[in-house]
Amino acid sequence: MRIRIIKPGLLSTIQDMGRSAYLSQAVPVSGAMDSLSARIANCAIGNADDAAVIEFTYAGAELVTETDLLIAYAGDGAILSLAVGDIPCERPVFIPAGSTIKLVNNPSGSRTYLAIAGGFDVPEILGSRSTYTRAVIGGYNGRQLQAGDVLNSIDQLSSTAKNILKMLHGDYPDYPNWSLARQLLLPTDKKAIRVVRAHEFSWFDKASTDAFLSTPYTLSLRSDRMGYLLEGTAINREVNTELLSTAVTPGTIQVTGSGSMVLLMADCQTTGGYPRIAQVALVDMPLCGQLKPGDAIYFYAIIRQEAEMLYIEQEKKLLKLANTVNSKFL
Amino acid sequence: MQTRSHPRPDFSIYYLSEQAVTIGFGQEIAPYLLNAVGGFNNLLHQQPFPGFCTTVPAYATLTVFFDPLIVVQSAIPGADCFEKVSAYLNSLNQRGKLNEVIPGDTVSIPVCYGGALGPDIEEVAGINKLTISDVICLHSSVTYTVYMIGFVPGFAYLGGLDGRLATPRKAVPRQAVPAGAVGIAGQQTGVYPLKTPGGWQIIGQTPLKLFDAMRSQPSLLKAGDKVVFSPIDLQQFNELSSR
Repeated sequence: MRIRIIKPGLLSTIQDMGRSAYLSQAVPVSGAMDSLSARIANCAIGNADDAAVIEFTYAGAELVTETDLLIAYAGDGAILSLAVGDIPCERPVFIPAGSTIKLVNNPSGSRTYLAIAGGFDVPEILGSRSTYTRAVIGGYNGRQLQAGDVLNSIDQLSSTAKNILKMLHGDYPDYPNWSLARQLLLPTDKKAIRVVRAHEFSWFDKASTDAFLSTPYTLSLRSDRMGYLLEGTAINREVNTELLSTAVTPGTIQVTGSGSMVLLMADCQTTGGYPRIAQVALVDMPLCGQLKPGDAIYFYAIIRQEAEMLYIEQEKKLLKLANTVNSKFL
Repeated sequence: MQTRSHPRPDFSIYYLSEQAVTIGFGQEIAPYLLNAVGGFNNLLHQQPFPGFCTTVPAYATLTVFFDPLIVVQSAIPGADCFEKVSAYLNSLNQRGKLNEVIPGDTVSIPVCYGGALGPDIEEVAGINKLTISDVICLHSSVTYTVYMIGFVPGFAYLGGLDGRLATPRKAVPRQAVPAGAVGIAGQQTGVYPLKTPGGWQIIGQTPLKLFDAMRSQPSLLKAGDKVVFSPIDLQQFNELSSR
């Protein structure tokens, strides 16, 4: 299966579940900002969770199918659309060769994930196909997609994908009447982000930590795949000990010298020297991956045991979902 | 060898995320903590627990990443992943030999100092009331220690800069510093592995690649290594660069 990029949109990169084996050499994790959407798209067509997908930022991209395709997409940055109408999300979709797919506006979020049966075929670099543009590694030649780029899928299809293709084929787009309902795996309030208090939480004064957990913070324009600068009530320190640089991870919220907060995201550095106020619960990172500058969010504190429980429950649900899809197409 | 006694390193574990805990060994930048972090890192890699993924060593901490779905199923005692991993790490620490000395590699990094490749060397010399050859001599006559890798892929935090070379960062950072640029910022010296914006005083450039994703160890340096800078001229730089 093969597609060609006609318009790349604002920022389109190949991503998977990230690169974790080289953190000690300061290679960032990278990977899909909204890993849940990427996994749902893969799951719908019988791909492994970590098959490479395209992460689109907002609408505007356009591509043409050079062969018949089996795809699925998920996310809140755009709706995929054909000349004959919108493509439904979160389910397998057959699209015949020669079709033009446009990403049209869907203002609720920022990122959309396109999965292709077998996964996009780019070389695995340091154990991952994710693009990390700063070091020019992974993805398509280490860079964001450009007009004219041709992307192939890996020929090896799962038995689920093969069986879906037996059902969906022909000269017209085709899809089943079911979908994976990603929304059921997400909280209803998309702007309430659960956090666990971080190791240096007590370094900040009470007025600041109260404000952190009760007032809104807005994503500034200085927000990208590395991190989000948050605007809102300043966070002041009570303890002025210097923090020796130590490991940080996506979801870590650092407080800079000027009292503003930075929420670290997929391409963040592996170590940092700013004190940390909180760590976003892993299950809420996909919500953060959909935020855009100007969005206001609130932080709610939970205890680490709850964060872990939520994570394990979510993973079990995703496993069950994958088993359900696979058993439909045995 | 002398047997100077050091304070016994701490061993306190805190939560970083659902998938990681951090072990704190102390609060300072010191060789005995570098050894404590490195020694325990080696021990953990030799005797990993079910679900262990990877580690990130830093100045005085070792962060341990794991897969919660595997850890939670393991027989290690504890009510949750944090307790299980903590219990395992504590028992490994009690069983293991403390401060096991890690033999790092010694890496020689050729540097072409001054000229177009080291545009700030005169400023560094001027601020510190030294000649350019003093700067080169002081910078290349020390054996540095790699304390940690962080910031960007392959960037080594080096200890050992001669205090006479300490220079504040540039007032206006450069839009682009080339990969291989050797700089000074305050009490630190280091090499830029990638072309990035930066505010360090650039005194030279190495033709070596500090980071190369195609190498089996992409980062040229690792925590615990020793580094020596050896001066080369522009002709040697060009020869080594074209290899």
